[in-house]
Amino acid sequence: MAATTESVKADAAEAPLLNKRNLTLGILLYLVFYSFIRWYEGVYGWSAGLDSFAPEFETYWMNMLYIEIVVEVILFAGINGFLWKTRDRKVMSITPREELRRHFHHWVWLVCYGWAIYWGASYFTEQDGTWHQTIVRDTDFTPSHIIEFYLSYPIYIITGTASFMYAKTRLPTYQEGLHLMYLIAVIGPFMILPNVGLNEWGHTFWFMEELFVAPLHYGFVFFGWAALAIMGVVNTEVMAITKLLKKDLA
Amino acid sequence: MKIIKDKVAKLSFVALLITMTAAMFYAPTASAHGEKSQAAFMRMRTIHWFDLNWSKEEVPVNDTMTISGKFLVFKGWPETVDKPEVSFLNIGIPGPVFIRAGSWIGGQLVPRSVSLELGEVYEFKVLLKARRPGDWHVHSMMNVQGGGPIIGPGKWTTITGSMGDFVNPVTTLTGQTIDLETYNLENTYFWHAVWFAVAFAWLLFWIKRPMFVPRHIAVSTGKASTLISAGDKKIGMVFAVGTMVIVAASMGTTNSKYPVTTPLQAGLLRGMKTYQMPEATVSVKIDDATYRVPGRAMQMTMTVTNNGDTSVRLGEFNTAGVRFLDPEVHEDETAYPDDLLAEEGLTVSDNSPLAPGETRTIEVTASDAAWEVYRLADLIYDPDSRFAGLLFFWDENGSRQLVTVDAPLIPSFI
Amino acid sequence: MSASQSAVRSRAEAVQVSRTFDWMILFTLFTAVLGGYHIHYMLTGGDWDFWTDWKDRRLWVTVAPIVSITFPAAVQACLWWRYRLPIGATLSVVALMLGEWINRYMNFWGWTYFPVNFVFPSNLIPGAIVLDVILMLGNSMTLTAVVGGLAYGLLFYPGNWPVIAPLHVPVEYNGMMMTLADLQGYHYVRTGTPEYIRMVEKGTLRTFGKDVAPVSAFFSGFVSIIIYFLWHFFGKWFAKTDFISDEAS
Repeated sequence: MAATTESVKADAAEAPLLNKRNLTLGILLYLVFYSFIRWYEGVYGWSAGLDSFAPEFETYWMNMLYIEIVVEVILFAGINGFLWKTRDRKVMSITPREELRRHFHHWVWLVCYGWAIYWGASYFTEQDGTWHQTIVRDTDFTPSHIIEFYLSYPIYIITGTASFMYAKTRLPTYQEGLHLMYLIAVIGPFMILPNVGLNEWGHTFWFMEELFVAPLHYGFVFFGWAALAIMGVVNTEVMAITKLLKKDLA
Repeated sequence: MKIIKDKVAKLSFVALLITMTAAMFYAPTASAHGEKSQAAFMRMRTIHWFDLNWSKEEVPVNDTMTISGKFLVFKGWPETVDKPEVSFLNIGIPGPVFIRAGSWIGGQLVPRSVSLELGEVYEFKVLLKARRPGDWHVHSMMNVQGGGPIIGPGKWTTITGSMGDFVNPVTTLTGQTIDLETYNLENTYFWHAVWFAVAFAWLLFWIKRPMFVPRHIAVSTGKASTLISAGDKKIGMVFAVGTMVIVAASMGTTNSKYPVTTPLQAGLLRGMKTYQMPEATVSVKIDDATYRVPGRAMQMTMTVTNNGDTSVRLGEFNTAGVRFLDPEVHEDETAYPDDLLAEEGLTVSDNSPLAPGETRTIEVTASDAAWEVYRLADLIYDPDSRFAGLLFFWDENGSRQLVTVDAPLIPSFI
Repeated sequence: MSASQSAVRSRAEAVQVSRTFDWMILFTLFTAVLGGYHIHYMLTGGDWDFWTDWKDRRLWVTVAPIVSITFPAAVQACLWWRYRLPIGATLSVVALMLGEWINRYMNFWGWTYFPVNFVFPSNLIPGAIVLDVILMLGNSMTLTAVVGGLAYGLLFYPGNWPVIAPLHVPVEYNGMMMTLADLQGYHYVRTGTPEYIRMVEKGTLRTFGKDVAPVSAFFSGFVSIIIYFLWHFFGKWFAKTDFISDEAS
């Protein structure tokens, strides 16, 4: 009887398996931030974003670009540095329950990664197609590019690498080596960013009109396929979680 | 802690709502859009727009205005831009703030692409119907396949009223009058909603039961066949057959509802009617041309011969839509955009009437801030450092002659 | 770590944990596939999907199924063979279409003011459901590719026709005949998409008159079969759980 009470107390005291607050705040963080970005685009895209030679373009768009790049570099280094610095050096000796808790935490990261990919690859990428109908392409840094290429892509890259870093430093499952599909799921979408170089070169070199299906864009397509590698990560995770739950589920 | 958490959650939600709402109601003001980016040599040596007229400066929603004028397809078309064999008379506005109610070249409606000839002048007109209130920069524009958009002069135009009032009535050949702004919208929402509902029902049928871990256990222990029951297969059949039935039935009802449909219309329009300018009797030879960077001025030395029978004077130099005038000869009465008009921008060393048969060498200076503002001065950094433009001469009777010039340009930095 | 220790306190908790993971996995899979699929689709068939005046009888019908059967085939390869979940195609297509609808409404309409009746996405759902059901019933990649792939191509045009037909009603406009879809493209000015960019009704197939769409759909179905095979293999590859040595790193 006494033992049971103790165990119940211990349960109440320990951290929950899934930190729902982190999950909710994570999702909300992207949602609120990107809603703000969408509002900013709506206002300053029209009032300051149509002519890249206007002084207000420098104020509202180029400054935004400079700020976002600096913040992204700091966030990337800070988050990944923190995850690496605080890595678990005895990761193979954690309890199954702790491992399960970490899998949940890992999935909070992955949920955020999927969410960030949605905003970057779907919402802001197709949005670019319609913005090009309102301007004559007059700079590589058109407002939709400043958001799409230099904000939403780095954000999912940061989320993806952090997710990978979390798994590698805290989960026994990933100590075997480097998980090939996880690498692809992170590096493939990352490569979309350098591919912007090809895009801008091509648009400047050949044509200035907006044909989405132009072969020039196929680099994005190829790297976009890498998002499918999330299936490999899902499978590895399901296998790992199955190991932890199997005897209790039977 | 819990209170703080709740507060954070609440505030985030409020912030979300505010931003979402704000996003819907931003003010429609706009800057110009991108015309200055194009290489100066490209703007000077492709399409020369002239005699432009914007019929109104302020238009209420649903009202129309026109942009009309002429354009010369320049003979010395640059090598870096594909020839205008496939071109489209567009309009440079920030999205559908106006709708293009009509556009004509030489009196022929041009909803499709056209083939243009080098060296020819064409008359054009674009009819615009105001849709979205705001101040908009409205440009003439020609898209050239392989060359991109070649943007002409722009003028600020104000649309007043409310976009909610905009209507776009069209009468079809089957006799109905519809509002193209909202036509077919409910039908689109309806069918997409139906198909989303079917898809969600199928997904829900599967995801309402435990998915990944238990199913993985079953598959990896050789019990995969237990995961799909006979009932599941029946439901699957219902979905597949139901899908095909809905597709077939909806296609049938659509065909009976719309018995007359035609394919999209496409194809190049050739043989556009050209505009015949009066034969030029003045000939011009550019002896040299320099651009003085500090003075924002272009100086040309030219030898002009008058082969006609009345005396003439040089009144205007027009390049890339910027007009330099000698007010003693010609004044603009068309309310041409201020930023593109140098009313006293043309200085001629000797602009006394050039008599019939006379040849004279003159110094012509075209100076204005527009060289910088419109980045035409960047010509000196272009990889094909030639300039081009239109010279307009007036004779004693007020008749006008157009002569094109095309020559190398030497920059002067001191 | 002791092998005898349990990660959960009870069977009930195990069930709950498993279910919670279901939702998190599903969300991530949905959004990641949405992102990858959407970028793939918009850059291989996007222009036909954005504008009604690109939705013709020939190229739209040919291109859209061929480029859109890719991700459904790949996701099926993972969800079916590993979990016997026959939802890979429907999940992918619903994700894509949801992403498209959000964007068309929020951005094409909400940001740049093109009317929704001009920019709505193509409907891919009928083909996806049939693909899923065939895989479930036949438990065979080959059968799904051949029968499902063909059906996917064939169902596309009729599956969209109820929405498209009203826009193909002809109209006489200033002395020329065009469809209402053409008129939308003409009226609602697109600075970056001049008319000649449109790839519609090109080539001599249009001289076949009314039989163009079935010929195109059949060809599209045929290529979809091949693409299905290819992408099913891609899917299997992407579903792998291999590790590579990290010594080199």
